[in-house]
Amino acid sequence: MIDYAKDEHHDFLGGTAKALADAGLQKALTRLTDTLMAGNRRGFATLPDSDRLRDHAKAIKEHTLAHLDRYLEQLEASVLKLGGKVHYADSAEDARRIIVDIAKQTNCKTAVKSKSMTSEEVHLNPALEKAGIEVVESDFGEFIIQLAGERPSHLVAPAVHQTRESIARILSEHTGENLPDDPKILALTGRRLLRKKFYSADLGITGVNFAVAETGSVVLVTNEGNGRLTTTCPRVHVALMGMEKVIPRWCDLPVFLKLLARGATGQTLSVYSTILTGPRRAEELDGPEEFHLVILDNGRSRVLATPYRESLQCIRCGACLNACPVYRRIGGHAYGGVYSGPIGSILTPLYDSISENPHLPHASSLCGACQSACPVRINIPRMLIGLRELQHHGKPNRLESLAYRLWKMVLERPWLYRLALLGGRLFARPFAKDGWFRHLPGPVRNWTDVRDFPAPAARPFRDRWKELNHDAS
Amino acid sequence: MMPRDTFLKRVRQAVLDGNRTGSATELPHRGGIGWQGAGADPVARFAKEMQAAGGHTHVVADADEAWQVVGPLLTDRAARRILLGNSPVLDRLGIGDRLLEAGLEVQVVDDLTCANCRDTFFQADLGISGVEYLIAETGSIVMAAKPTEPRSLSLLPPIHIAFADAQQILPDLFDLFDLFSPSPTPGRRMSPPPSALTLITGPSKTGDIELRLVTGVHGPGELHVVVLT
Repeated sequence: MIDYAKDEHHDFLGGTAKALADAGLQKALTRLTDTLMAGNRRGFATLPDSDRLRDHAKAIKEHTLAHLDRYLEQLEASVLKLGGKVHYADSAEDARRIIVDIAKQTNCKTAVKSKSMTSEEVHLNPALEKAGIEVVESDFGEFIIQLAGERPSHLVAPAVHQTRESIARILSEHTGENLPDDPKILALTGRRLLRKKFYSADLGITGVNFAVAETGSVVLVTNEGNGRLTTTCPRVHVALMGMEKVIPRWCDLPVFLKLLARGATGQTLSVYSTILTGPRRAEELDGPEEFHLVILDNGRSRVLATPYRESLQCIRCGACLNACPVYRRIGGHAYGGVYSGPIGSILTPLYDSISENPHLPHASSLCGACQSACPVRINIPRMLIGLRELQHHGKPNRLESLAYRLWKMVLERPWLYRLALLGGRLFARPFAKDGWFRHLPGPVRNWTDVRDFPAPAARPFRDRWKELNHDAS
Repeated sequence: MMPRDTFLKRVRQAVLDGNRTGSATELPHRGGIGWQGAGADPVARFAKEMQAAGGHTHVVADADEAWQVVGPLLTDRAARRILLGNSPVLDRLGIGDRLLEAGLEVQVVDDLTCANCRDTFFQADLGISGVEYLIAETGSIVMAAKPTEPRSLSLLPPIHIAFADAQQILPDLFDLFDLFSPSPTPGRRMSPPPSALTLITGPSKTGDIELRLVTGVHGPGELHVVVLT
């Protein structure tokens, strides 16, 4: 069973130190993020007016969030019309209970699941197992980390922290064979094992990439085809969606399909984009007989009411992770939440708490690479700065406020200001070297320990300005 | 109050509270934004994109040429159990008859029932289907679930051969979505979305092991598209 405590933690600095010391992980992260970013650039290069398409996608998301209640009701009505059922989950606990109840009522004993971050968010697997329902992850990477008892460390490459050797070991332990570390043999072993599960599973559980209010369609995007198998073989399909995944119209879907695949890997389209509109219809030979859509809040409505609403536009492509100089060094597990990278640094403090995750809003150089990479242009730096402000709001530092009071006093009195400048220059002279302070004493050491500070000029600008002014007149 | 009503009421309040700080924008119209099209030769563009995604395209002019592609493929892969869909282009090319003449074990989807289909689907070596459409710009085939073309046909067998008429080609992904509508307008060529509409762009892939590309991890590892011009 998954040990959530191991990967869901509040020890950012500890997790970071561990990741930085792991040479194998460093290599894997560089390979992954370089490859995906290069793909991303190639993918967007094939879309001549991708900037306008991004703007369009963002405008759709903004509009949807501004009328979210209306679109959820429309989605519900469309799903009901198709013969599906809709459930509302206020919390993670609600979602677990609803899905376990569906499984029990439909007499399901075994479940297959296609990759879903939302199901990770609600800790679904242990709840199903506790209720006596076997659940198997079917994305190959997710299957490996399920066997290893871990959590995903990247939105689209969940097992990036595992090597071919460790995957061979994990699979060999599971099958009792001695498997070589050949990627093809390992992946096809996964196929063989999971085919048996697909053959017999009663219940298929998926996330939702997009849900179309107008038609009641849910959309799954995968490269392996596990999303299709999960919604083809079992007789019951449960789709769990964060409520922000709804989009208004059928014609909005290709906009997001074009952007999602490019953002994630640079493909023009992922291998399988599956648009499911209700359960299996009369005379059809496969597909689920029952379709249940579970719509999750779990803190989203709280965020919807704030200026952090923009974070709900995320389509979970992972582009901001690949672009982020921090993620590229520390990987997903160091963040301590379900969602990692720049977007995780916003989502985790908002949904968990800022006080328990004090380092996350600071896990960014504010370079803006995340915002540039985002297919829906989420202004991640703005929200990180906002969270930093919230963090310190109402908690003034006494030394800092004393310093600002002194600063104010000096600025209000020109004679004192001139005196202070003179004093500063005299004080600074012995410490400056080649125009820079590199080592200062006392509390200001905290600054010079980590960066240099330019020394004041020999003649202040004020003096030079007077001369210049004189010359001009 | 029902859990549903409490949920939606909370969302409504959050929308109102949030809208004060943001703005409730209009739902935008796309116009021509993002439409790439396929250039002068959509079939060539399709073939190029499909190849980039790891699939194979065979352009043929008639039934004999089609069989010259498919016959050797079946022999090479030693495919015994063939699952055969039902679509106009398959009829026109007489694929079913040719398979039987070649002495292969052919299971026609039309003859299956829900009660007996699962084992047949899981045991097939190769699936042969038509397609709903081709998309040139992305190199995708579009499959629509229906009684004669179940989802499994293009999913469970390790090899999938899809037959299409060049007439079925659409330049851009956006064009596909113009052909379906939840409330079809009379006089226009539109239909409601099927229970499953799947866009397939190349063979099944995973990069989960050190980014090494492996095909066929879940869906077909080999995808051939035969386009009749």
